[in-house]
Amino acid sequence: MNWILLTPELTLLLAAALFLVLACLKPDPRRDYQLAVSMAALTVAAGIACATMSGDLFNHVYRVDLFSQVFKALLSIGFFLVIFLCDDFQGVAPTHHGEGYFLLAVCTLSMMMLASAVHLLAIVLALELSSYSLYILVFLRRDSRWGMITGLRYFLVGASASAIMLFGLALIYGVTGAVHVDILIQRLPAMLDRPMVVTGLLLTLAGFFFKLAVFPFHFWAPEAYQGAPNPVAAFIAAVSKVAAVAILLRIISLAQGNSDLLTRGLIAMAVVSMTVGNLAAIAQRDFKRLMAFSSVAHAGYLLLGMLCMTPAGYAAAMFYGAAVLVMKYTCFMVMTRVAEDGGNLQIDELAGLHRRSPLLALALMMALFSLGGIPPTIGFSGKLIIFVAAMQKGYLVLVIIAMINVVISLYYYLLVLKAAYLDEPTRPRPAISLTIPARLVAVVMIVLIVGLGFYPVALLDLVQAAVLRLP
Amino acid sequence: MSILTLLFYAIALLIVAATAMAVTRRNMVHAVLYLVLSFFGTAMLFYLLGAPFLAALEIIIYAGAIMVLFLFLIMMIRLKKLPGMFFPVGQLLPAIFICAGFLAVSSVLVGGNPEGWTPMPAAQASPAAFGVYLFQTHWLAVEIASMLLLVALVGAYVLGRRVRGPSADTRKEAP
Repeated sequence: MNWILLTPELTLLLAAALFLVLACLKPDPRRDYQLAVSMAALTVAAGIACATMSGDLFNHVYRVDLFSQVFKALLSIGFFLVIFLCDDFQGVAPTHHGEGYFLLAVCTLSMMMLASAVHLLAIVLALELSSYSLYILVFLRRDSRWGMITGLRYFLVGASASAIMLFGLALIYGVTGAVHVDILIQRLPAMLDRPMVVTGLLLTLAGFFFKLAVFPFHFWAPEAYQGAPNPVAAFIAAVSKVAAVAILLRIISLAQGNSDLLTRGLIAMAVVSMTVGNLAAIAQRDFKRLMAFSSVAHAGYLLLGMLCMTPAGYAAAMFYGAAVLVMKYTCFMVMTRVAEDGGNLQIDELAGLHRRSPLLALALMMALFSLGGIPPTIGFSGKLIIFVAAMQKGYLVLVIIAMINVVISLYYYLLVLKAAYLDEPTRPRPAISLTIPARLVAVVMIVLIVGLGFYPVALLDLVQAAVLRLP
Repeated sequence: MSILTLLFYAIALLIVAATAMAVTRRNMVHAVLYLVLSFFGTAMLFYLLGAPFLAALEIIIYAGAIMVLFLFLIMMIRLKKLPGMFFPVGQLLPAIFICAGFLAVSSVLVGGNPEGWTPMPAAQASPAAFGVYLFQTHWLAVEIASMLLLVALVGAYVLGRRVRGPSADTRKEAP
């Protein structure tokens, strides 16, 4: 076995082991943070260095190819950014910082495995591992008003989604007798007219839709975002969505585009997700709840790319997954810096942000414009690529519905922006002081959002090459 | 009717009766003990069907480890008996509804035309062969499962400390 292929995973495993030991020693938040950032930087280096490798590992259960490696590089970058945000980590008691970093590392590790696994058993176990670490991360919230109840609710919805997914997998196994993706690819397309196979596939997708917060499985999102410590909410909103896109692409591509029933099911979910997410977001006053419903809407856009079941559609979804990582992370970064003592942030508390910290206000503006799809931002190019892919398949009505949704979403994004730029604060608040690395990250995020909006070709070429590895 | 069939129905009856008792007991300790009895019955069924290894696992893991853990928990938490009906009507009605649906679907399935049914091939393996298969072809899954257990352990530790009351630092902060 070629262990070099596993370098990103092994680095994360090392980080997890390190923090498991540190969690047992005397807590020291400063030391834990510095160690976590350096381990995360190592992971990013490993993720990017291994980006072009390929091979099969663990008796053909684990596939390392461009598709999985691009996702791993994105996941490791997301992991680094979230760890970087933990510099005060106020939402978690100082005694539990070690456990927090341990769980974040394990969660990222399991998501990397999710991107690479091609055996259904390994996929299910990796999904469970990532879910369970997230449940406990939500529980870690110091304020017991939030952590306990929301963690429990998140866990119950997640456990039901897992049960539904296992039932679907049992149906697929019952019909095809195969659990390896390579064999499923050969056997499934011929059986796609059977209701049992389509039911099985849709139920299987339910487990992954839970991760992406697609409509019938989105009920956990607002509570979990609100109840989680702020960096953890950023992790759920930005990083875990990337992993969900990876595994959804892997499973949906099994059908190889010749299932009418499956496409119809996905279309219904995409439309309802967009509409419900955007309409519910209008009424929100809490920043994290608003972002949660906006996540539901973005899950709808992502699904729109995937349900085309063409390489163009898959590439569009992958591009948009990377865009969601950048946009959502920037929003949560601003929120974490503005919120006092790691608490939740109401939207009217953003008032006067452009005076308290012009850089953060600019970052928030760019991220919101990008989420709303205003050119020239990465969100605009991402949406454009998805809509073009859908038009190629002739889904004109779907694209029009999505565009109406984009307009609705602009309304509440602009409300947030109005609070940050135009509203006067009710009482004067001190300016927000940022460390130099924090400034640097904010500038890099702004550059990424605008740069990839002007020049999306570099990333687009990469994802187009990556999705060719799918059947 | 052969002796094996007789044994099968006797054990099946025992399992159903024990499970019914487990579901309806108000005393949690009694319920757990009935559930252990039901697991023993299931283990015997596995043995009858020619899977002694599975029977042993059933007793060691389900009846042994998990149920003993349940007993520990019940004794530690000391649940108070709740007054009123065991199942509130709001829960009972949907439950009956779902059971009726399940009964209808399964009777249609069982009573359907058995033409075109193929029995699944029975797989028999010695514990050694099973272990070699598991650790050779699925060792990634075994590793992930072990990490899952580790995460569960960390979670139990964190939750256990939370349940016992606010930790020292939160108490200090409270005015």
